Amino acid sequence: MHVISLKDILINARQESVQMRHHYLGIEHLFIAMLQIQGGITASIVEDYGFTTEYIIDAIRRKTDKGSNQRLWAGFPYTPRTEVVLDITNDLAMENEIAEATERELLVAILTENDSLPIRVLRTLGMNLQATTLAAMGYDPKREPQTPDIHVAFAESFDNTQPIEREQLFVLRRMFSGHKVIRVEQRLTGFSGALVLVVTPVHADGHEDAPMVVKIHDADSILDEVHRFETHVKSALPLQTARLEDSPVKPETSELAGIKYTLVAHSDGIPMDLRHYVKAFGTAELGRLLQKDLYTQFKITWWQPKRPFRFQAWKEYDWLLPPLLTLDFIPEDDEPEMPLVIKIPVNRAKLKTKMTEMEFGDDVVLENFTVQKIDYEHNLLKLAVGYGSEADKRAYKIEMRGVNGLSRTFYRGETVERLMGSVWKTRYDLMLDAVRDLEPDFEPDDRWISLEELQLPNPLLAYDNLLDRHVNGSMSKIHGDLHLGNILVGPNNSVWLIDFGHTRDGHTLFDWATLEVSLLGDALMGVLDSDWATVRLAVRCLIAAVNEDPLPTDYEPIIHAAQAVDALRNIVRQCLTTEENWYEYYIALALCALRAITWKSMSLGGRRLLYLVSAMAIFEMNRKYLNTALETPSPDLTDVLPTRVANPDRNEP
Amino acid sequence: MQLVLMIMSGVEDGLRLSYSIDNGDGQFVEAQNRWQISIGRKEDSDLCLRNDSFISRQHAYIYWESERWWLEDCESTNGTFVEHADSDARVKGAIPIEVNQLFRVGHTWMRIEENNK
Repeated sequence: MHVISLKDILINARQESVQMRHHYLGIEHLFIAMLQIQGGITASIVEDYGFTTEYIIDAIRRKTDKGSNQRLWAGFPYTPRTEVVLDITNDLAMENEIAEATERELLVAILTENDSLPIRVLRTLGMNLQATTLAAMGYDPKREPQTPDIHVAFAESFDNTQPIEREQLFVLRRMFSGHKVIRVEQRLTGFSGALVLVVTPVHADGHEDAPMVVKIHDADSILDEVHRFETHVKSALPLQTARLEDSPVKPETSELAGIKYTLVAHSDGIPMDLRHYVKAFGTAELGRLLQKDLYTQFKITWWQPKRPFRFQAWKEYDWLLPPLLTLDFIPEDDEPEMPLVIKIPVNRAKLKTKMTEMEFGDDVVLENFTVQKIDYEHNLLKLAVGYGSEADKRAYKIEMRGVNGLSRTFYRGETVERLMGSVWKTRYDLMLDAVRDLEPDFEPDDRWISLEELQLPNPLLAYDNLLDRHVNGSMSKIHGDLHLGNILVGPNNSVWLIDFGHTRDGHTLFDWATLEVSLLGDALMGVLDSDWATVRLAVRCLIAAVNEDPLPTDYEPIIHAAQAVDALRNIVRQCLTTEENWYEYYIALALCALRAITWKSMSLGGRRLLYLVSAMAIFEMNRKYLNTALETPSPDLTDVLPTRVANPDRNEP
Repeated sequence: MQLVLMIMSGVEDGLRLSYSIDNGDGQFVEAQNRWQISIGRKEDSDLCLRNDSFISRQHAYIYWESERWWLEDCESTNGTFVEHADSDARVKGAIPIEVNQLFRVGHTWMRIEENNK
């Protein structure tokens, strides 16, 4: 076994401190230096818990933040806590009769002291520190365990048209080491690129465990989900729900990780997600289930305890839309002349003016943006206003391309003082591309889209002003990604939610708008043709349904879907902040539906329908709550009309 | 009345500071019947954090009033924050603060310690 001496750890810890511009030696630097030892005791223990060392290093760095460029003291002092810990370390070395203290003694000392910043980080991640201390004392880093020969069987009902990838299978096997066979019952699909399966583990003696849900995704996303579950969800779950039980599993040789949700229930049988449920039982049945089972069971801990929340729409919904800007990175030594500066906190009015003038190749300086994600594969730095899963921290997304070969390192959650880039695409460009991909039967940048006698505002020109609107809404705990694939139903209509990666306190209606988008885009468009005539008919029916007008068709799938939407809207009605004031819902729906047009995984028909649903929501909002009859557009409606005309040639028919 | 603070990050991480009204520490504000400790970069602050450049001259107060501790931000540039599971919540005005609850002044984390006298 490879033992690293304290001396070597101190050298690396100093480097970490200098990189963070701290210039003192704290426990955080020592701990990060230990995590960076490949195959070291600290790294191995953390990995045995299913975490990656990078994930923990980022979390620790976020807690301390970078220091300033200014040096406030000479030399390189130890913190008082470091002195204490190093004393304990040396005592331990003496007790164990070792000439020179090593990583083991240092780790045990840090765990014994038990009050430092890295320890607090480990605690919020749900690590059992007592067990960790015992492990540290006697730890002998194992060789990479051989993947045991677990047979992966597939149930007959499993749809094998989209086979599970090799690497995903590898993680899956590792998650069930100790079992003889696992049977994959069903694939539950998400939008996010995660693999979600219902799996029944089978023991060597043939005994079968209850089916559970397995999610496999990139390690950062999985670990964030574990973190959220630990800090946010665990205490607020209704009795019967999916629970995250074991530690995550992250094999060293893979970028993927996996977690298991066990389903606490009184019934046996294989659960299915609502997408499969719709296929089996139809949309009308779905509506009943949503209202009778889902909402009733979960409202008490989730959507019902709500408090008033007045916000500007962008705070909750800006992050749904494509990045505000996609920039090509400019290194620091090529300082551009007269760049456009965007700084946090953002002055929204100023930024809007700037955005309309922005063109390809313009130089932009970003000040105090925060790193959300570092995509090494595509050399992409994803930035936003802040860090965390709250919607207002994820607003104003900016993507920086070509950040490879940088001398400096970024960490997730880091606030970067200054970054420069030149404009590749604006949000409007990306949205326009997405609308063109719909092969519209109208001009993509026309102000209006006609739907028989109605003129619907074109969302492409309206979204920017929507984000400015003030909403009198309410806030509660929300699931954050409530689509049909994240709701499971078992025999006896027992309902579970899974996937808490986006759970947060937010606009109560966000969940229902997301669900309506999923209901229309997935369930309804799964059975309809994707041509514009059908899509328009469907939207016409939706408008008629919510206004209690007779439906203009007797085509069954549309009628059933309208019934499901009606059931869903009944739930929304109970969640409205002001009785019968649907304004806050239309805002949510318009922006949630608009988001879907950029989804690669959504069918063409689905994206077409949702674009018109977005238009419909804006239309209904304007006509019902802004006291303006928009059926005949007139020039005096400037305050509710899209105003994106800065580049006049875009608006020519 | 005694206040024991523990610095929880930065170059002074682990430092324990003790203030006592009997020793003449802090100020007693008679109007509100409160005993307060000032935090800032100013030399005459009760807690002077000269090693954190993210601290304003007069950054925050901790005070004892109505049988509990309060944390007040003095409209500091870089803010005062209370640790929260998801992300740290910025303090606006004065909020009640519990013993052992972590809070951050500029970049420096600290907490009020249990007073075991």
